[in-house]
Amino acid sequence: MGFRRNLVIRFAKWASNMSQKIRGGQGVTLPGYIARKLDHNILTALNGDVRKKTFVVLGTNGKTTTNSILYNALTAEGEKVIINKTGSNMMNGVTSAYVLATDKKGRLDADYACIEVDELASLTVLPEIRPDYLILTNIYRDQLDRFGEVDITFQKLKEAIKKTPNTVLLINGDDVLSYTLAKESGNEFHVYGINEQIFDDTSRSEIRESIFCRQCGHKLEYKFFHYGQLGDYACPNCGLTRPEAEYSASNIRLTNVGSTFDVGDRSFTTGAKAPYNIYNTMAAYAALRMAGLEAAYFEEMIAAYDYGNSRESQFDIAGTHLQIHLAKNPVGFQQKVSLVLRDDTPKDIIILINDEAQDGKDVSWLWDVDFQYLVDANANSIIAAGKRGYDMQLRLKYEDIPCEVTQNLKETICDCIDNRSSNLYIIVNYTGLYSTNTLLKNLETEYAGKEGQS
Amino acid sequence: MKLNIAHLYPDLLNLYGDRGNIQCFRKRLEWRGIECEVTQYLQGDTIDFSDVDIVLLGGGSDREQEIVCEELKKIKDDFKEYVENDGVVLAVCGGYQLLGKYYKTNTKSIEGLGILDIYTEWEPERLIQNIILESDLFDMPIVGFENHGGRTYIGNHTPLGKVFYGLGNIGKGDFEGVVYKNVIATYLHGPLLPKNPQVCDYLLKKALDRKYGTDVEFAPLEDEMEKAANNYIYARYSNKGNVLQENIKKRL
Ligand SMILES: [Zn+2]
Repeated sequence: MGFRRNLVIRFAKWASNMSQKIRGGQGVTLPGYIARKLDHNILTALNGDVRKKTFVVLGTNGKTTTNSILYNALTAEGEKVIINKTGSNMMNGVTSAYVLATDKKGRLDADYACIEVDELASLTVLPEIRPDYLILTNIYRDQLDRFGEVDITFQKLKEAIKKTPNTVLLINGDDVLSYTLAKESGNEFHVYGINEQIFDDTSRSEIRESIFCRQCGHKLEYKFFHYGQLGDYACPNCGLTRPEAEYSASNIRLTNVGSTFDVGDRSFTTGAKAPYNIYNTMAAYAALRMAGLEAAYFEEMIAAYDYGNSRESQFDIAGTHLQIHLAKNPVGFQQKVSLVLRDDTPKDIIILINDEAQDGKDVSWLWDVDFQYLVDANANSIIAAGKRGYDMQLRLKYEDIPCEVTQNLKETICDCIDNRSSNLYIIVNYTGLYSTNTLLKNLETEYAGKEGQS
Repeated sequence: MKLNIAHLYPDLLNLYGDRGNIQCFRKRLEWRGIECEVTQYLQGDTIDFSDVDIVLLGGGSDREQEIVCEELKKIKDDFKEYVENDGVVLAVCGGYQLLGKYYKTNTKSIEGLGILDIYTEWEPERLIQNIILESDLFDMPIVGFENHGGRTYIGNHTPLGKVFYGLGNIGKGDFEGVVYKNVIATYLHGPLLPKNPQVCDYLLKKALDRKYGTDVEFAPLEDEMEKAANNYIYARYSNKGNVLQENIKKRL
């Protein structure tokens, strides 16, 4: 390693350290920014120090979970792995992850790198990292994208991947967009997927938007859907057909505590309660196998893996079990409806809908979610909250499902804890997550105080 | 009594929760004890307009709209006759544009049905926000969400309403939509009908009167929740005036 590079890294780390002391935090992308200013080849150089392989994870949904499972799986194999954290998946953030992983002498000690990259940043990041493997989780449009931004994402990803022709792709074959992209890129690719229809009727929408073949423009036909656009598709016109998955999940059983499924002759027991986390798990497992690892510790690792929906967002307050679930788009909401239905014990449900920019200012997507299934949710009460609580209430009225509206979330949650079923689900969209979490943390403390006094 | 609702090309024109409009028609009939049958017409299906009481034409992306346009050409004459004979139509977003003479995008011109003497031209700045109208047809304001790149020029047609907040047909904050015979065409979704039960009932009543040839009895419903959702949007902007329009005037 060159003397100059050592200096660059040390200066970048020192400067970000100073800045954190001065400004108090926010330094996640700063070391990368500084290091790149001093040496624009720094990312390529540092990635060159990774002894075995570099994985990049891309896609609309599931990047962070997939990358985290991959990291845990490699670590479980006894490998030294570097990973970038959520929120640092653009150029400076990625570079920072490498810079901050170096030791005092500016050296990187890593067998593998697992790097999540934002789709739009991929165009610049990929050519610098030139990863050995690229995992593409899916390409969706969400409710904010109602007029063709998915086409722009598709083109950017394709352009980025074409710049690294030696990168081997791993794609979700159930997603026609990912498959088309892999075919068009010309790169070598491998496929994972779910071969059987997941027994989960509530995940599927009644009226489905047509999905068109990108090869010829014809309407695709589906043998079955899992959710969103994922399923077993074929084009009756040009013959494009869902590829056979080399790594496929079968015998899937979902419960309210997790799931079990088989891949080839292996069997996994996981805390994944929703189909999308089965996909994320499949992606990580397939990535290991594709890279030539036996993944001998995968069963053990995944059985203990925390899919993130438990630790921070589950609370037990004065005998009531409370869980917060984030749903960002219609596909996500449909999955939460399914999740609620799998718990057949009595419950209360709060649905919080905001309409800030990050939520989507247009709430018409509420009518694209099949909320009618909630009639079988064994709910004592359903309560709408948030800025567009009245819209949510109205949505349920038109399914003949009674729903209250609250203007005071804290009061309502306390009422649920004190007087209702002791099993409370809170489903929120984006901007409601942080405040609701904080509210529950505070309530946890308040109630603990009350118990102390009595 | 019974109404037949034709939902045209729901697999192509379904961008903005149009299911909500169908559900609103359906439930508000059901709650009054009136039968309702919704038929989805897909590409290639033939439509017998003599058996239709309400047509819903929703919105889609430009690509999908073009496919629909090819389909609609085949039924153009029957559709026009239906409208001229006081057939009830709700056309939203893309559906609104398709009723006109043409829609000129940045790359090409899509021919419309020519049922309304209006035309639409694309501009790069999309108009995306909550919108509130005051309509001569109703006491209650009409609230919704607009999201359109097209500017629709309605000529001598009557607009659905005056824009109280938002941008409307040509992005100037003046007028929105068209009312022609029993056709309501508008950019408002959200979807339109659930938060605007007055509009839903207006269309249902027109369809019933037309079908049964008399002024049919049409019971009012409890609309507290609908009014609350409507009023929430109205109250959010009512003390501000149409700041958007003010800004446009300042720019000129
Ligand atoms: Zn095809």
